[in-house]
Amino acid sequence: MQDMVGSEYPVFEVFVQKEPLGFHTNVGSLRAANPELALQMARETFFRRENAYDIWVVPQDCIFGTAHDEAHLPVSGFDKRYRLPGGYDNASHWKKFRAKAMTIEEVAEDIRS
Amino acid sequence: MEEAERTRIFMERINAGEKIEANDWMPDEYRNLLIKQIHMHGISEIMGAYPEKEWVPKAPSIRRKLALNAKVQDEIGHGQMLLRLAEDLSRPYGRGREELMDDVLDGRVKFHNVFHMEAPTWADAGVIGFLVDGGAIITQAMLLDSSYAPYARMLKRIVAEESFHMQHGEAVVLALAEGSQAQRDMLQGAINRWWEPMMFFFGPVQMGKGAQRMMEYKIRTKSNEELRQKFINRYVPRITSLGMTIPDPELRQDPETKEWHYSQPDWERYNEMVRLNSGPMSQARIAMRRYAHEGQRWVREAMIKASERQVSEHQPAI
Ligand SMILES: [Fe+2]
Ligand SMILES: [Fe+2]
Repeated sequence: MQDMVGSEYPVFEVFVQKEPLGFHTNVGSLRAANPELALQMARETFFRRENAYDIWVVPQDCIFGTAHDEAHLPVSGFDKRYRLPGGYDNASHWKKFRAKAMTIEEVAEDIRS
Repeated sequence: MEEAERTRIFMERINAGEKIEANDWMPDEYRNLLIKQIHMHGISEIMGAYPEKEWVPKAPSIRRKLALNAKVQDEIGHGQMLLRLAEDLSRPYGRGREELMDDVLDGRVKFHNVFHMEAPTWADAGVIGFLVDGGAIITQAMLLDSSYAPYARMLKRIVAEESFHMQHGEAVVLALAEGSQAQRDMLQGAINRWWEPMMFFFGPVQMGKGAQRMMEYKIRTKSNEELRQKFINRYVPRITSLGMTIPDPELRQDPETKEWHYSQPDWERYNEMVRLNSGPMSQARIAMRRYAHEGQRWVREAMIKASERQVSEHQPAI
């Protein structure tokens, strides 16, 4: 953990998961003496009104991030449509065969219903 | 609390539609079924990359190469994400990534029958995306409702990427269907090869005890036969609209019940292939996996050694 300067508490980043099938999202940070108190503080600071399904606190110096420049971050300058469903125009081709295009949303809905 | 009482409360949670997290108490049987299912799923993603990987250098255009390569990357990524879940569940047994990978090499974990098969033509590469991913999407869509939350969450990401696999597979198939007679013949040949393995893919009508228990625990929510019927119902009209035929003379739909009648795949042959890794490509692909896993072990070990030295010098990023 971070070296404490005098009586200064270390910083914790706070992550919240809103619902069971959601992902944890960073909402901000706070200072606290230890992880238990950081969790307590997170509830006080970020969730006075909103509810949460799960909360994580992570010592800030345990997080390693990328530098914010093009060399380090994935950018979309390069054409990546071939990686996306929208990069394929199948509908017009299915039409020629008198069949309809199909989307994964449609399939998922059919299976889950 | 007594084990029986804990199990009773657990089943109440399951039946109320609650989601279970990795650190929640769970019966050993639930944990073991999850490990078996997710381990096999993860390993199948990885082994599934091999038949298509073979076609990256041979794909007919740069765009197809890029797309197929992107799909291979996705499948390996799916394998990584799923293995992480299996590792978390296996922690009480002291088994991590190395052991879960070794299991493939030693034949202790099975992978889907379709990935033991050959992909001899470019049409096979397309039909794998069209039918195998199509079938996998049907199975994975069901798993979006799994009672095990980490699995259901991961499936959300995976299904989003499968959407591209589906469109990519269809694009290749459509291009062949619109092509020359030789291309159409090649497409028909691939459909002939993949239809029967796809009938096997969904598993037997009479599900095994494990699969039944998975339904009771709501790890999965549909029977093998329900999924197979969904698949047939969706893909028969698509294949026939292309002017292609389905290699099953018994295939017909009951006009009243809408149930599809189909020939039984060779259960014995495919079961044996999966159990003994004795399919046409099983051993060759396992050998490539062994090369990747065992041949590169020294790199992983060297990286860990080097990182031990670096960590103390590293500055926090923020
Ligand atoms: Fe996948
Ligand atoms: Fe896929």
